[in-house]
Amino acid sequence: MSVSKSKLPGFFNGTALIALVILWLIPTLGLFVSSIRDKDALAASGWWTAFNASTQVTFARTAAPSEQVQTDKGYVLAGQLTSNEGDTYTNIVAFGSTSNTPQEAEPGSQITLKNGDLLQVNADGSYEYLSDEPIKGSRGKRIFFAYAQPAEFTLENYDNVISNGGIGQAFLNTLAVTIPATVIPVLIAAFAAYAFSWMRFAGREWLFAAVIGLLVVPLQTSLVPLLRLYSDLGQMFGFESKGYVGVWMAHTGFGLPLAIYLMRNYMRSLPGDLIESARVDGASHFQVFVRIILPLSIPALASFTIFQFLWVWNDLLVAMVFLGQGEDQIVLTAQLRALLGTRGSNWEVLTSGAFISIILPLVVFFALQRFFVRGLVAGSVKG
Amino acid sequence: MTEQIYSALIAILVGVTAVVVYFWGSNWILDTLISRSSRDNKEVLREKIRPWLFAGPAIFFLTLYLVYPVFETLWLSFHNSDSSAFVGLANYEWLFADREFHQTLQNNLLWLIIVPTLSTVLGLAVAVLADRSKFGTVAKSIVFMPMAISFVGASVIWKFVYHYNGEGDIQIGILNAVIVAFGGEPQFWLSITTWNSVLLMLILVWIQTGFAMVILGAALRGVPEETLEAAIIDGASRRQLFFRITLPQIMPTVIVVWTTIAILVLKVFDIVLAMTNGQWETQVLANLMYDWMFRGAGDFGRGSAIAIIIMISVIPIMAWNIYRFRKDEAGR
Amino acid sequence: MKNLRKTLAVAVALATVSGAASAAGLKFDKADNRFSWDSLAKFEAMDLSGKTIRFDGPWIDGDADNLLTVLAYFEEATGATVEYNGSNDFEQLVLVDMKAGNPPNLAAWPQPGTVAELASQGNLAPLPSSVEAAVKESYAAGQSWVDLGTYAGADGNEAMFGLPYNVNLKSIVWYVPENFEEAGYEIPQTMEELIALSDQIVADGGTPWCIGMESGGATGWVGTDWMEDLMLRTQTPETYDAWVSNEMPFNDPKVIEVMNTFGQFVLNDDYVDGSSSAVASIFFGDSPKGLFETPPKCYMHRQASFIPAFFPDEYKDTVGTDSDFFYFPSYASKDLGNPVLGAGTLVTMMKDSPEAQVLMDYLTTPVAHELWMAGQGFLTPHKGANLDAYSSEVLRKQGEIFLNATTFRFDASDLMPGAIGAGAFWTGMVDFTSGKSAEEVTADIQKAWDAIK
Repeated sequence: MSVSKSKLPGFFNGTALIALVILWLIPTLGLFVSSIRDKDALAASGWWTAFNASTQVTFARTAAPSEQVQTDKGYVLAGQLTSNEGDTYTNIVAFGSTSNTPQEAEPGSQITLKNGDLLQVNADGSYEYLSDEPIKGSRGKRIFFAYAQPAEFTLENYDNVISNGGIGQAFLNTLAVTIPATVIPVLIAAFAAYAFSWMRFAGREWLFAAVIGLLVVPLQTSLVPLLRLYSDLGQMFGFESKGYVGVWMAHTGFGLPLAIYLMRNYMRSLPGDLIESARVDGASHFQVFVRIILPLSIPALASFTIFQFLWVWNDLLVAMVFLGQGEDQIVLTAQLRALLGTRGSNWEVLTSGAFISIILPLVVFFALQRFFVRGLVAGSVKG
Repeated sequence: MTEQIYSALIAILVGVTAVVVYFWGSNWILDTLISRSSRDNKEVLREKIRPWLFAGPAIFFLTLYLVYPVFETLWLSFHNSDSSAFVGLANYEWLFADREFHQTLQNNLLWLIIVPTLSTVLGLAVAVLADRSKFGTVAKSIVFMPMAISFVGASVIWKFVYHYNGEGDIQIGILNAVIVAFGGEPQFWLSITTWNSVLLMLILVWIQTGFAMVILGAALRGVPEETLEAAIIDGASRRQLFFRITLPQIMPTVIVVWTTIAILVLKVFDIVLAMTNGQWETQVLANLMYDWMFRGAGDFGRGSAIAIIIMISVIPIMAWNIYRFRKDEAGR
Repeated sequence: MKNLRKTLAVAVALATVSGAASAAGLKFDKADNRFSWDSLAKFEAMDLSGKTIRFDGPWIDGDADNLLTVLAYFEEATGATVEYNGSNDFEQLVLVDMKAGNPPNLAAWPQPGTVAELASQGNLAPLPSSVEAAVKESYAAGQSWVDLGTYAGADGNEAMFGLPYNVNLKSIVWYVPENFEEAGYEIPQTMEELIALSDQIVADGGTPWCIGMESGGATGWVGTDWMEDLMLRTQTPETYDAWVSNEMPFNDPKVIEVMNTFGQFVLNDDYVDGSSSAVASIFFGDSPKGLFETPPKCYMHRQASFIPAFFPDEYKDTVGTDSDFFYFPSYASKDLGNPVLGAGTLVTMMKDSPEAQVLMDYLTTPVAHELWMAGQGFLTPHKGANLDAYSSEVLRKQGEIFLNATTFRFDASDLMPGAIGAGAFWTGMVDFTSGKSAEEVTADIQKAWDAIK
């Protein structure tokens, strides 16, 4: 549209666009950045501060009172603050006397505890606990402190979610559902689309109008009857009603209206003379279809393939109803949803799991964006 | 690597083979049985049968998976929870008296108004702006990208944005962080009625704007340049150009976009399920139906009634689509 | 493929748990004499190799690990494979499978009310008579446990359909003794003292309670537990029973009073970590973690005895030192004794098979109980189970509370029919924490009762 381009509105429109784009990008960016952060840092600070050190608050125990040493200052417990796993803390930022006041004192200073004992913690993690009388008890005393954890990026969360969060297996399950459920409808629809475009038969217009109508029929009306049908058949013929075959067939059925619609529109736009002359030369419709139309229709086939792939990969409802929730059948979307419930506060698991679930469709999408757009447009632009 | 991949590969092999065998085989049989000859009527007969071979499998799947279920669901909605007894309109009577259903209908109405409209307007805005910009293609890709993300994935992304930590704690969700930075109080947004529904709707808008943008962008390109040039020569301002010429020209497409998104809104179930599971008055029809299908011991009667309600609300659009199609075909 | 399964990661998927129990490994040595290994002998003599038994249940995470240990020994002895599937949405998922004609062999229901419904619909197979005999003989007060699992079948005849396995104690409050000590708090002996303590904590600048109700399709059950414990402490046991059977309508003023008492705790933003409306979105297994944070997010957590399986890893096994519990006290001003609320699961047979029956028998043996007792979060009335198998003094203490109660009642929501106890009551509690009035919520639940009568 060179007409309006020549009237460059410039600045305002430019910033508006940039603002919109940033708004659109931020949520996904937040997801990705969070998924590679250390999990404690994730919980302690916003992802936009990912490159800064985060402050963690915790406690550690002194050595057991059995190790106290009597010096001229009194009874002393000294050492290095260490975690249960044995890591030493070396970046103390503040410490305190009670669990409610873990950051009341500066490192290097000495504070008086409620029971009169003295405590000093230094920035390098060394501490000294001083008492006038023999220190009692069997366990070390708790010392509360805050330390600085440098920004750390890691792929640990991905590792965790794949092995402990069931995402790895779910990924494979989803592949197993999606690939057949994409390939089969494409074939069936291509033939039907050709019939609707270039073959004459009674009721063709009616049938295609019906296909148009079916484009909007909601999935919801199909769930219960099909569930009952599958279970009846399953009981009659002795197979499990919840399984991959059922899901493949269901996705085929649900995807056919759009497939037929897109491909038929495309095939209709192909030059009729091509077909005419081939028929005049004695070719049957079958030969015309296989030798001429099918190769020419590859753009439309590609478009629908991407649609269907994305739709099946991202589907939740069909998989939840027709497939089980067991480890060997659950798909990525269902697993992610389950994680949202039980690991709802473990963002390291959720962000990495979500990212794994979206990475493949994103790659497919970006690689074949052209076909996707073409398909959308072919179906919708009027006038 | 695992059983699943093997079985999937085998399935593709078997499925594709079966489909190929069917199509190639049935056509070959047809050709052989009604052997090729110069006799016209045999050729005619053959070509009369062939379309049904081509379209047969599709018709079978469509009937089984989309047509038959609608009638069966209708039948089920007149029966009780485990379909053992006929109850007439009892399910519908109950439905229309149920407070949760009213709340759900209200929500759906809100969704139907806000989401398609917002997506269309934003999509149009981005399409127009991107056309005029140097990095328009990149911008469009970014706005379009959420379309590839599953609704559940988007829910995780946005749940993170809406995350709430107690007051006084550091906020890790962007929304609350921004609010706190401006001096406000963080809220658990998902539990605040009406606000929560709007926030859920934003997720769908985020996803669907790309769709609107692409379609409307293509439509914009279809507006004839001569018309615009003539109008400029006549002294039309840019605003008049847009509202008096461009918009009317692309209106049919705007309607298509709006109705397509509206259909999706009626069917959307994942977002509400993953974010709130209908709690805090965010319930929508599709989620309500799933709920009733499996609540307690499962109530297929009520679940089916809700499915029929969804079906009914879709019918006007279905009728309009078919009407438009017939008109287009007639004009060909 | 069985080998392939075994080499897969041992760590169990947290959202749903499944897989051959052998993945959990045989954790305990046969030389460990806490366990009654001789009860395995009968099973070692059988050979069920190649047979698979499907077992669905509500146990996930740490609970599931413990069950898989119990099943691992069964598998080793008999050669059968047991596939356990656990999920938060267990009730929904099993019903879907059942409707699809594909139920598991065994299913462990936390709700006797639902078991009653399923039995009357004919969806459960009666348990082998050996199971009924074992319960009668080896459970303390065996007959009442048999009764708990006995219902009318589709033909109207009563039979035992559910085996009580894994019971838990509900009337307890968890806390961190060191935090109490540091702040100078004492364990409250009466409800009045408990409320005063909560106020004291608020005055000191802290938050007294952590409450989390999220649980997938079962969100809200934590609220029902509070209701039941408070009901027992403010009303008579007869009122409780009338409430369960709906002889007393759910929106009776007494019930509304109880709900508002719960509101005293949960609707008070100062009392609860986070905000009260957030309570329904916090996973129940996550909420106790607040006890262990620095600064502590809360000081007390009212929850059943199985919750240590959800504590952070370093605290799972230190119950008694790092964490401890006290009895959820009763009002000194009311004269209702020391009531105790408990619950448990009933293991049912949804799809009969000879192997499934053998597994049922196994679950009545002492060792099947001891193996879980040695983990966390398992209590049992089985007299033959060696008390030394309890992994801690704490569990023994809990067992004592069980046996010393003046009144004992089973969890009400689990006794009510599924549509209420696993439906309207749960969602009602969520509504209540979101701000709906007790009058409205109880009226809604009563409407649900009316709809199924």
